[in-house]
Amino acid sequence: MKDRLTREEVLHVADLARIEITEEELEEYQLKLKDLLDQVEKINEINDHDSNNLIAPWQNNAEYRQDIEEEMLDPKEVLKNVPAKSGNYIEVPVVINE
Amino acid sequence: MSKYLDLEITEIHELLKTKKITPIDLVDECFERIEKNKDLNAFITLNKEAAYQKARQLEQEEIKGMLYGLPIAIKDNIITKDLRTTAASKMLENFIPIYDADVIEKINKNQMIIIGKANMDEFAMGSSNQTSYFKPCKNPWNKALVPGGSSGGSAAIVSSRITPFALGSDTGGSIRQPSSFCGIVGLKPTYGRVSRYGLIAFASSLDQIGPMTRNVYENALLLNIICGKSKNDLTSFETNEDFTRLIGKDISKMKIAIPKFYVNDAIDQEIKDKLETVIKLLEKAGCSIDYIDIKYIDKAVTLYQIIAMGEASSNLARFDGIRYGYRYDHPKNINDLYLKTRRYGFGNEVKRRIMIGSYLLSGKNATTYYNKALEIRDDMRNSFLEVFNEYDLIIGPTTTTKAYPLGKDLDDAVKAFMDDILTIPVNMAGLPGLNLPIGFSNDHLPIGMQIIGSCFQEAKIYQLASFIEKSLNLDLNPNKGDKNE
Repeated sequence: MKDRLTREEVLHVADLARIEITEEELEEYQLKLKDLLDQVEKINEINDHDSNNLIAPWQNNAEYRQDIEEEMLDPKEVLKNVPAKSGNYIEVPVVINE
Repeated sequence: MSKYLDLEITEIHELLKTKKITPIDLVDECFERIEKNKDLNAFITLNKEAAYQKARQLEQEEIKGMLYGLPIAIKDNIITKDLRTTAASKMLENFIPIYDADVIEKINKNQMIIIGKANMDEFAMGSSNQTSYFKPCKNPWNKALVPGGSSGGSAAIVSSRITPFALGSDTGGSIRQPSSFCGIVGLKPTYGRVSRYGLIAFASSLDQIGPMTRNVYENALLLNIICGKSKNDLTSFETNEDFTRLIGKDISKMKIAIPKFYVNDAIDQEIKDKLETVIKLLEKAGCSIDYIDIKYIDKAVTLYQIIAMGEASSNLARFDGIRYGYRYDHPKNINDLYLKTRRYGFGNEVKRRIMIGSYLLSGKNATTYYNKALEIRDDMRNSFLEVFNEYDLIIGPTTTTKAYPLGKDLDDAVKAFMDDILTIPVNMAGLPGLNLPIGFSNDHLPIGMQIIGSCFQEAKIYQLASFIEKSLNLDLNPNKGDKNE
């Protein structure tokens, strides 16, 4: 069993997570993410469970609420925490590739 | 210096009712104690001005219940309108919520006074409070030790008698483990008992807000007011009950189970010895005790890692630097903004969990890992429920060790999960679980036990806990003889 992830594997998960990592961090992640994945892989040791279970993130009987329109948050309030804005719009950098 | 905050809630209530003291006296005392305990670093943000304003306002109001005028600390991942809420992350360093969490509305409605926001592990990810962007909180019993986590600030505040009440949140043990390390009573309620609306989500299918208090009765009182169905959280439910109703009632016919896994070799002998004392006490009181097996309980940590990290990666995707929170200053383009905002905004523990979680949910992995973990979790849950067909409650230790030194195993990717091997199964099954202090180690650090009930059985947990609490009659004030005297 290999003792660390490859550079490509780490870069792949960092890309999925949208987190930039430095060259130094990359080496550290090769080891630390491997430790975590080893833990996670233990799920493969279980094969006698009931795979017919209907899976849901929770078991409570959730009721649907009525689909009624209601006032919730005031746009002015919502914009208070926006890092960059222009009038009632949120400013973002260039989205289209140059 | 006054010492009202060392009194029982019933005594404080009587003083307030007879107008011998006012809520302002309690707020005064709180802030004196905060000043004296500054080195604990238990708070991230104080709510001083608003707390005094609320206290003055309460003087004009009629007393509606037992919790009138009483101070409370709130874990900093529960949002509070106009009061900074950071989740102990640089990402939310300057975040001022524009609405209150459901539990905060209930706290306010019940005339309690919010004193401040408690330190915690960043986004509740950790079990020692050391991943906080605002530096670790310390253990009131020994300041060189961790208070536990992630609700470490809440536990330290209640333990050091700064406020009698705190709210925490528990995803894998984050209320019970710090409660054990700090010698207080902490409950993770049944999943859905308390609305999660306004709790900054970590793992949505496991998270629960719960009460952290000095004793069992006060814990039940706080649960009484924070529970209930909310239209904002469709997993929440209503039962309309008084959780104090079984406190002090006879426990002699109770059938109690102990999972064999809960007495395994990874657990410190000192802790097992204290539990043994309680077992003898219960047997003497007429309870029957059996050792039982729970399916997959030894694999609960693995299942938890998959489910918690997967859900975390999805929940924390919202922190993109666009609508609120930290934003990287000079990005080249939108993708660069995402990458750098998340690189500089999140701490190491959080980044690791997001990366693994993203991987676990990507493509076919979602079936191989996440879905499979949910299937096995269902089996484990059913195994727990079968035990409850025969037994009233399950007991065991809360933690494998007592509080350990700050700095130990810092940045160990796996350690934080291993701290929680005894608490995680309870979240996985959606059950209520409570930490109760049951004694001290040789070096006088608190040791706790866990009492686990079937779904909706919090009142029964309090029934047993109050019996043990009364029988042991421990002195759980770490300041005894100094500081707050």
